[in-house]
Amino acid sequence: MTLMVGVIVWLLLRPAVDAAVAGLAQTLIRAFEHPRVTRLVEDGHRVEVHRSDFRSGSGIPTIALAENNFNLIVLLALYLALPRPFSRRQLERLLMGCCVLYLTQALNLVFHVKTLYATGLGEWSQQTYSNLARNVFGFGQYFTDLPGRFSFPFLIWLGFNWDLVMGMVRPDVEEKAHTSSKAKKTRS
Amino acid sequence: MFSFFAPPSRRHVMTLHRIWDRPEARFLIVFVGFLGMSFTIVALNPVNDAIVLPYTAWIARVSGAALRVLGEPAAVTGCIVSSPRFAVTIYNGCNGLITSLILVAGVLAFPARWTAKLVGVVGGLVVIQILNLIRILTLFFIGIHFPNYFNNAHVYIWQSLIIIAGVALWVVWANWSAAGGEAPQ
Repeated sequence: MTLMVGVIVWLLLRPAVDAAVAGLAQTLIRAFEHPRVTRLVEDGHRVEVHRSDFRSGSGIPTIALAENNFNLIVLLALYLALPRPFSRRQLERLLMGCCVLYLTQALNLVFHVKTLYATGLGEWSQQTYSNLARNVFGFGQYFTDLPGRFSFPFLIWLGFNWDLVMGMVRPDVEEKAHTSSKAKKTRS
Repeated sequence: MFSFFAPPSRRHVMTLHRIWDRPEARFLIVFVGFLGMSFTIVALNPVNDAIVLPYTAWIARVSGAALRVLGEPAAVTGCIVSSPRFAVTIYNGCNGLITSLILVAGVLAFPARWTAKLVGVVGGLVVIQILNLIRILTLFFIGIHFPNYFNNAHVYIWQSLIIIAGVALWVVWANWSAAGGEAPQ
């Protein structure tokens, strides 16, 4: 049920999320680029990678955004599964969680673009990037693609809701911890 | 003279101790550490060729056998499962390995006894493989009957479902490990 709600909310937010992820990724890439030639244009849930130094008429590489930000569905579903998901505290935590997830999605897109530059543009890639750079960007893409994309929503959800999740999974231990911290406060 | 390699001061050691004493920080460090290490290992070419590819091919063979049991004349070539009506290639992201490693990281990072962790790892891997088999079979039939929805079902629904199932398994296991007196005091 929460998954379906997550899917619906994501489908509604998707155009905005796509544009925001592409925008932040472009800013991050251009921040470390000299001259600043990269422009990411979001078009129909894909990002077109434009470089102002491409020859006119050369093909424009594109990167799919669906795989990049579908994990928002998981984060939303996990938040909705917690008690009182629409309380002020939970909505604040959800907002913070979404911001962190957004950063990871932008970072993933940055690695995709840099890996494309380092490995996907033929001789130009070979001449411009070192083997070390190829490995670093390739590993960054791999790590933010497979384990990252799947585990970030869980980590963010758990990190921001440690007290609630521990209350669910270990109620007795949490109760003891709560009582002892209360007792300490009373003593001091 | 300032040196980057100066020994850590007592204050720094105390701060690290304080961070390690926080259960959520300890969980995060062990979880991310295990995940980083395990995914680095499975990304190495020799490991990929010797373990990941044969494992994925085995998943393909099991899926092909299950499809034949369900009446679909499926043939398997390497990691490709095909029938006269549809075909899928099972890639590294579709073999259940990622969710399994994430679940194992979660189980190992959670404070519980080693026997409970062993039960969590073995039980979790079995359940995830069963869920992944169901995922491959349903996607295959979606591909046959509703090919336009295959991509959506593959990326949004089943990937999300598998992650949520992994998290649910972890919550159930953690609850069990505490309720069964398996949690360390």
